[in-house]
Amino acid sequence: MNPEQRTKTYCLRQHKTHLVFAPCSLFLALGSKLRLCSLLLVLCSVVSMAKAADTTNIYPHEDVLTLRFGGMWQQDQYLSPLLYDGMEVGIGNEWWQTFRRAPQWLHVGRADLTFGWLTNPRYTNRIYALDIEAGWGAAYQWHFRFARREQHRLHLFLGPYLAAEWAPRMILSNVNKPYSMDAAVELQALAGIRYTFTAPRTAYRLSYILRANLIGIDFMPEYWQSYYELTEGVPGDLRCAGMWNRRYLTHELTLDIVCRRSTWRLGIRHEYLEYGKRQMAFSREQVALVLGTCFRYGVANIR
Amino acid sequence: MNKGKRYIQLDHPRLTRLGSWFLALGSWFQKFWFPALGSWFLLLGSLGCTRPFDIQENTPAGNMAALWQIIDEKYCFVEEKGIDWDAVRAPYIARAEAIDPEAEDAHFLLFDLMAEMLDTLRDGHVNLYTPFDVSASSTWYRGYPVCYDADLHRQYLANARYVGGMYYTTLADDSIGYIYYGSFQSSFSAANLYYILSSFKDCRGLILDLRHNGGGSLEYAYRLAATFTDHDTLVGYWQHKRGTGHNDYSEPEPLYVRTADMGNKWLRPTVVLQDRHSYSATNSFINAMRYMPNVLLLGGVSGGGGGMPMSYELPNGWIVRFSSVRMCDADGISIEEGIPPHILDSLHPNPNPTQDNLIEHAIQIINQAYDHSTH
Repeated sequence: MNPEQRTKTYCLRQHKTHLVFAPCSLFLALGSKLRLCSLLLVLCSVVSMAKAADTTNIYPHEDVLTLRFGGMWQQDQYLSPLLYDGMEVGIGNEWWQTFRRAPQWLHVGRADLTFGWLTNPRYTNRIYALDIEAGWGAAYQWHFRFARREQHRLHLFLGPYLAAEWAPRMILSNVNKPYSMDAAVELQALAGIRYTFTAPRTAYRLSYILRANLIGIDFMPEYWQSYYELTEGVPGDLRCAGMWNRRYLTHELTLDIVCRRSTWRLGIRHEYLEYGKRQMAFSREQVALVLGTCFRYGVANIR
Repeated sequence: MNKGKRYIQLDHPRLTRLGSWFLALGSWFQKFWFPALGSWFLLLGSLGCTRPFDIQENTPAGNMAALWQIIDEKYCFVEEKGIDWDAVRAPYIARAEAIDPEAEDAHFLLFDLMAEMLDTLRDGHVNLYTPFDVSASSTWYRGYPVCYDADLHRQYLANARYVGGMYYTTLADDSIGYIYYGSFQSSFSAANLYYILSSFKDCRGLILDLRHNGGGSLEYAYRLAATFTDHDTLVGYWQHKRGTGHNDYSEPEPLYVRTADMGNKWLRPTVVLQDRHSYSATNSFINAMRYMPNVLLLGGVSGGGGGMPMSYELPNGWIVRFSSVRMCDADGISIEEGIPPHILDSLHPNPNPTQDNLIEHAIQIINQAYDHSTH
């Protein structure tokens, strides 16, 4: 059995264990509508699992839940000329799936929520930052294998990714300028490399995924705007943003480890954003340790 | 299963060269993946490493220079007040350079020096906030007649009710309504005003006392002003300081009091009491009341503060607050230096220590207006 098959076999079991039985307490805590929706979702997945046993058209689906913890640096000259630094915590979810009619293409969805708290170098002021990011992309993939190393796989992918971000910030001591935000909808380039290999008793997958912005629309306030003009003037503060005036890069190095009955992710993520206009510059940098768990399961093509 | 996936055989003859390259890459990855990708990660990280932009040095002179520059580029009244700000720079930088940053009291010396420099602006909206002190200019209200005595005033509020930041009662045998609003930072609702004005339903007029009201929210100011008009009223303009030049203002944007902002209406005679400490949002309210029907201003010249303040940080983390938005009346005249009342009056040395002669004067004015309207 090659490691990929081994992982899938395990993950089918994990799917049953984790997705259906474990979250019972969470399920009971949900509202009635949410409970109904989640019940339908679980039923659908169970049906698709049952169908999966009878058909050969099963498409691998991967879902990863992650927690992040790390450092954040931020300079927002609308709020302050100083560079603030602090900590961040975040949660994220990403899923990967091949297109059913074009298996050489995969699509990826991602949602992240980050909260950071930062102080200025003199510890006299504080910024609280929230970052909500979601996106969807499609990538063409190339699979490589090695004649002499049957159990090793190399997997490259490249494609477009559409991302939306809203990152409001609140500074505590400012007068009439207490809020600011990064907001953008942009087309990004998504590229990645995955290397699957085995070791005694377990299997690993090393991934490096990079996203960088190409073009989009972002929000950029004027330094003289007060907080209420900031909200009233949003249309006027939107501008076309691309690599020439907005540099965004996020990349993540992760290692997935099959550990007995589960697959765990360990990694590091770095995110950098820099943009500016006239008298102001904005930048944000985050480096975080990533911990997560992967669910891989098959989705049947029901006809 | 997964029938669409096609593997590329790296040792296929047509791909031999590419395949061997990837094979080598793969084995290299396996052996050196951590240092290789780790190095790449660090490289990108260091390239993108966040650096602060354009920050002055955190020294006494650097902070003084930063403060001077913030005022020079962002403060909106340098030209209007006739201040030679360029001439201010050199002597204060020189004095800041003389401060030894290692000295125990260096921060006090620097604070006092900065406060002294900011005092040349004669602006109550200019403050320096530090962890140990806050600077405030007093030049803008010194030398004006006294219009308010808290002890005297307290006697009028003995039976007053209090809601939404407003004390309210009736005076002169329940014939005059009286509201004392001490701060536009206190929020009030339409329901609050409904009950207040309902209690004045049999009154001939209203005294709205804004003495020693240091301002607060401009939104509350315009909502309260909307009580006194039944149509949208142009009350002024504002201009943002947009560029770094002293006169780089935006085009004037009109300011309206929208009657729909407040459902409760009071269109009977109203006297607004003001003094030099009626400042900032209160000054804007007083300006708006000039354009309302049946309103008369009584007392001293208001404090001004027609510039909406904003704040910014210095390299040492101290915060400077300054005016950055210039406000004018409906005729385009700046209200920064204050608004004179229709009738100038102040507290007199009074033989009767229980009487506030400004309130008594206001009662007299309303009674005269009532008598005039009934005859």
